[in-house]
Amino acid sequence: MIRLENVTKSYSTEVVALRDASFDIAKGEFVFLVGPSGSGKSTMLRLLNREERPERGAVWVAGRNIIDMPPSRVPHLRRNIGNIFQDYKLLSNKTVFENVAFAQEVIGKPKHVIRQQVPAVLDLVGLAGKEDRFPHQLSGGEQQRVSVARAFVNRPLILIADEPTGNLDPTTGEGIMRLLDRINKTGTTVVMATHDQRIVNTMRKRVIQLDRGVIVRDQARGVYE
Amino acid sequence: MFSRFTYTLRETFAGFKRNITLTAAAIITSAISLLIFGLTLLIQEGFDNLLQRWEGGVEMIVFVNAGTQPDGLEFIQSTLNEQVSVGTVASFEYCDVVCSLADADRVLAGDPTTRKLLNETNIPTLFKIVPAESTEVAFLRGLKESYQQLPSVHSVTLAEEQLDLISRLQGFVSTYTTGLWIALMLASGLLIWNTIRTAMFARRREIEVMKLVGATDWFIRIPFMLEGLIQGLLGAIGAVGIMQFVNWRWTQGVRDFPDSSGMTALVVVDGYQWTVAIYILLFGALVGMIGSGIAASRFLDV
Ligand SMILES: Nc1ncnc2c1ncn2[C@@H]1O[C@H](COP(=O)(O)OP(=O)(O)OP(=O)(O)O)[C@@H](O)[C@H]1O
Ligand SMILES: [Mg+2]
Repeated sequence: MIRLENVTKSYSTEVVALRDASFDIAKGEFVFLVGPSGSGKSTMLRLLNREERPERGAVWVAGRNIIDMPPSRVPHLRRNIGNIFQDYKLLSNKTVFENVAFAQEVIGKPKHVIRQQVPAVLDLVGLAGKEDRFPHQLSGGEQQRVSVARAFVNRPLILIADEPTGNLDPTTGEGIMRLLDRINKTGTTVVMATHDQRIVNTMRKRVIQLDRGVIVRDQARGVYE
Repeated sequence: MFSRFTYTLRETFAGFKRNITLTAAAIITSAISLLIFGLTLLIQEGFDNLLQRWEGGVEMIVFVNAGTQPDGLEFIQSTLNEQVSVGTVASFEYCDVVCSLADADRVLAGDPTTRKLLNETNIPTLFKIVPAESTEVAFLRGLKESYQQLPSVHSVTLAEEQLDLISRLQGFVSTYTTGLWIALMLASGLLIWNTIRTAMFARRREIEVMKLVGATDWFIRIPFMLEGLIQGLLGAIGAVGIMQFVNWRWTQGVRDFPDSSGMTALVVVDGYQWTVAIYILLFGALVGMIGSGIAASRFLDV
């Protein structure tokens, strides 16, 4: 599903965010990216939906090397990838329903599909009954659930999560993790960057560890260390 | 497809409300520049019309020295009468001191200093002459020369020479108005560009999310371009309204001009103002769309 081949990405001559990174992630896998702050986790995730492009190497997503993909194809790539962020990135002037519907609206999904699929996904993330609330009327955990719903509503092949529990207390964070696990069980590949030792250690999924842009460990059913 | 359409409309009108002052400035500027654009075309058309009418009945004016005694005038008059009887002149008309002063008021309206130098004692009176059918320049020149030989004649002006002056005036007017509308058009394009940039900055979070979930650049761009197009179009509608009003007032006013002023022909005919109205609408929409399209493409990477 995802393959990195000798990827090097630098922001300037001094800042090399990733150095000669290679890995292979199969369809349906759940992978944690761990490593100290500044080790290149977010950069790695941004390479996957072509928010960034590396200087060297190849990035394969769903059978295509996305590095030389023409810009006009990039939106179609992104329709296959859901994104979740530490700060949720919800639109404050839209309700829960509208925030999730927005992801379908802007790629031209018909109204009747939106009316059917948005309530279903809100039900899945446990927000049934809160469709008409605005983000500021929700707890942090609930806001993150909205963002998960938005990332998943178009049934992407891959879900990318950059420290999704970073702003949440442990119990709320666990709730989000259970949700991501359920989504992963539907066959969606999940790649998640995290600092959360407890979560990595309890989930026992594959762990890829970065240190100053270099992959120093790639372990199946790994722990945080 | 339908949800895409309603999305576009909703976003376009939300954009207007968000940005009311900048939008108003952009609309007013484009209205003024389009108005000047339209007026430039109308003025040129008016001049063309004026010149065209001169072509038909060529006029010649014989200026008589100030203070010429009645017998001097009578001599010129009898010469002209003779020419009417042999058929070289179709008709003529004498304009006395009072008439000539009134004439000077109009001709020299833009040059009050020269006008002040003229009074009952020093103003040359004039004969207005409509020559017979022949409009051959050589013939007219000959006629002019013969009048210049007459005693008491100060000078003779051919309409041909005035036409030349009017064309020069036309060139002068249209150069400056053209410069003005191009500059203002540029200003309105920049204002529209700035409005769209501000609108996109206000919506950068939405745009970020749109790009992340895979909206195409065109999908993101189109509401903004539509907003620019509507701004240009609203400006154009304002410009067309004012232009029609100005043209109507001018046409009304021109009717009261004395025929001898030669300016009554300076009007637009054959509904040309409606052709200009269409140009204005197209032009306004185009500038709005291009200005906002460039801005939207330029700032899509926020
Ligand atoms: N847009 C950017 N421009 C320049 N340098 C950047 C940019 N983004 C990241 N970097 C640098 O690249 C390196 C890797 O950053 P990255 O954000 O990938 O780290 P991270 O592992 O996600 O860190 P954290 O755990 O703090 O989120 C860091 O040295 C960072 O300063
Ligand atoms: Mg990061």
